[in-house]
Amino acid sequence: MILLQSHSRFLLQTLMNRVQNLEKGVELDYHWVEFDDVRYHIQVSMKNSHVLLLSMSLPTPPPEAIFFGGLPFGAIEAIKAAYGVLVQILDPPRDGFNLTLKLNLSKLPPDEEHRHALLVKIASVREVVLGAPLRVILKQLASRTVAPNMDRLVAIVHRPNESFFLVPQVGKVTVVFPMRFKDSIDIVLATSFLQEFVEARRTAGLNNVPSCLWSSSPPLELKGAPGEALLANAGFVTFVIFPRHVEGKKLDRTVWSLSTFHAYVSYHVKCSEGFMHTRMRRRVESLIQALDRAKPELENSKKTVQSRSFKRLSLNDARTNSKS
Amino acid sequence: MDPATSRPAVVIDNGTGYTKMGFAGNVEPCFIAPTVVAVNESFLNQSRSSSKANWLAQHSAGVMADLDFFIGDEAVARSRSSSTYNLSYPIRHGQVDNWDAMERFWQQCIFNYLRCDPEDHYFLLTESPLTAPESREYTGEIMFETFNVPGLYIAVNSVLALAAGYTTSKCEMTGVVVDVGDGATHVVPVADGYVIGSSIKSIPFTGKDVTLFVQQLMRERGENVPPEDSFEVARKVKEMYCYTCSDIVKEFNKHDKEPAKYIKQWRGIKPKTGAPYSCDIGYERFLGPEVFFNPEIYSSEFTTPLPAVIDKCIQSAPIDTRRALYKNIVLSGGSTMFKDFHRRLQRDLKKIVDARVLASEARFGGEVKSQPVEVNVVSHPIQRFAVWFGGSVLASTPEFFAACHTKAEYEEYGASICRTNPVFKGMY
Repeated sequence: MILLQSHSRFLLQTLMNRVQNLEKGVELDYHWVEFDDVRYHIQVSMKNSHVLLLSMSLPTPPPEAIFFGGLPFGAIEAIKAAYGVLVQILDPPRDGFNLTLKLNLSKLPPDEEHRHALLVKIASVREVVLGAPLRVILKQLASRTVAPNMDRLVAIVHRPNESFFLVPQVGKVTVVFPMRFKDSIDIVLATSFLQEFVEARRTAGLNNVPSCLWSSSPPLELKGAPGEALLANAGFVTFVIFPRHVEGKKLDRTVWSLSTFHAYVSYHVKCSEGFMHTRMRRRVESLIQALDRAKPELENSKKTVQSRSFKRLSLNDARTNSKS
Repeated sequence: MDPATSRPAVVIDNGTGYTKMGFAGNVEPCFIAPTVVAVNESFLNQSRSSSKANWLAQHSAGVMADLDFFIGDEAVARSRSSSTYNLSYPIRHGQVDNWDAMERFWQQCIFNYLRCDPEDHYFLLTESPLTAPESREYTGEIMFETFNVPGLYIAVNSVLALAAGYTTSKCEMTGVVVDVGDGATHVVPVADGYVIGSSIKSIPFTGKDVTLFVQQLMRERGENVPPEDSFEVARKVKEMYCYTCSDIVKEFNKHDKEPAKYIKQWRGIKPKTGAPYSCDIGYERFLGPEVFFNPEIYSSEFTTPLPAVIDKCIQSAPIDTRRALYKNIVLSGGSTMFKDFHRRLQRDLKKIVDARVLASEARFGGEVKSQPVEVNVVSHPIQRFAVWFGGSVLASTPEFFAACHTKAEYEEYGASICRTNPVFKGMY
């Protein structure tokens, strides 16, 4: 697995399970948490087994990100556009959550393929909600316009109290990620990972991908951003997105990759730590083998003699014994 | 305060056969997946003899291979459909055998299945009561170094199995846990939450042996099962049709009189040719689980039946705990799920105990009357993931976070903090 999938595996599994035995009444109540502190709660009651309540809480937004009623801007429209009649947004949401959706599973399309596609879409509710503002801006990019009332610098939340920044322009959108890590080893690994990442961009054959820069100090685009947002211990990554990156179906993938970029880097930092451990283990094993080979044989033969329960006479001893 | 304590802890119970993983506070694990990793080793075997210009390509291929692996059901499916993937089982007989595979398995559990950030959650892992302190240290090292978990608790699975019964009826932390898993079978006495380490008994029969026995029976009868599929079929037969009988002879008679009622059909598709086949499932339905009660039908090396082992285990425990232990015998593990397994166990154990009580009364010539010993085998509907459920209950209490080893402690003292487990109280 190189990229994180956009749907939540557990949510999809639960939905499929429900859809397959829709008639059977089941009590279901489940809480879980995903990366970047996105929390889910799913509930099905015995009485209305075809109704499923899905609640979701988002990471706490930093002050610079724009939120309307606990949701990022454009989220409500995005939900309505993605799910249509299947979903009803409950107002107010459940206690402690930002959004509660009421799914009516009996309204699913009967066609197998459509239904599966829609279930996957529901399972990627995180992409729909958190990626909504990003999608709005990238859509404008695709049509090469900029909304007149848009700020010069747009902050979008992606982790608790952390956001990344967009600079929308007519022909391009610049995306800047301040990268922060907790652990000192992670910071070192992430820094070299990101430098390598930028290096890899230069390979021939990747000419059409968004250009990508890394710098240890805040880039010029971030002028005017709040001071706190400019503190990042693993540097800043800048992507420049052109209209060709958001054409048609590419839009969804671009939105997902950008909104989970931090999780992607942190996943690969963990993977490389695991990889290093594997290499270290292999090295230690080979060294131990070398040590074992260097052990003198003598010790070994001595042991077998000692382990015998009685003393066996060697041939010479026996002769001397018989002579005497 | 640590924000991680406000999030539910991640509970992962790695068994030899299946791994149960999920978040604390829920009643069921999110995923139950086979503990297996399919690794693509085609990159590794490429020799270094090729030219040096190729080095970079090989290097990046090696790095890619590092990410090119699957776990769980996906792994099994991949290894079937293509020959580039090799299956490796990280856990053998309840002990971690291959740490590389185990680390990768955890990595996928966390990032692909549970999709959580390990830095955000406390973790609860399980181990068998016979795990060496070194292996516990190693687990701690991987969790803290690779995944940067804020806190870790390594629980003994039998204590968790006892804790699973904790909520349903009573707060009883004394009992014998009979844990029959896929790779290991242990009988573990626990008194007030502490494991009586010296009295732990193990049996060389596990769920896997039942599968092998079923496979052997079907093969000997000449059932039409393709050989490459026979182990999987035997496993399915075991999981779906096996049950415990009260008396073998009667059961044989029942089967012979009404074959239509008792003999089941198995239908499958041959993996190579795709042709459908079917076979009968007969006596192995009750003979499989019988391995635990009459081991001589399977092996000539170990012939002590499970009830006798449990009795021996309790008799070797401190005398003041014995009555309480007989009263609460808890089953856990997938291979205790055969229908009526607990009834049979209780009956057989009661027989042994009653015989001993009668004998001792006879010795005193009827002058002393002893109080009858209560024997009680407890079964509950969640036996399959009782250990996971116990972990979930434990990890959702506020005391859990205080009992964990934290990252700060790890950095201060090193992996040795995971060496001892308080439930063994002075054993190590």
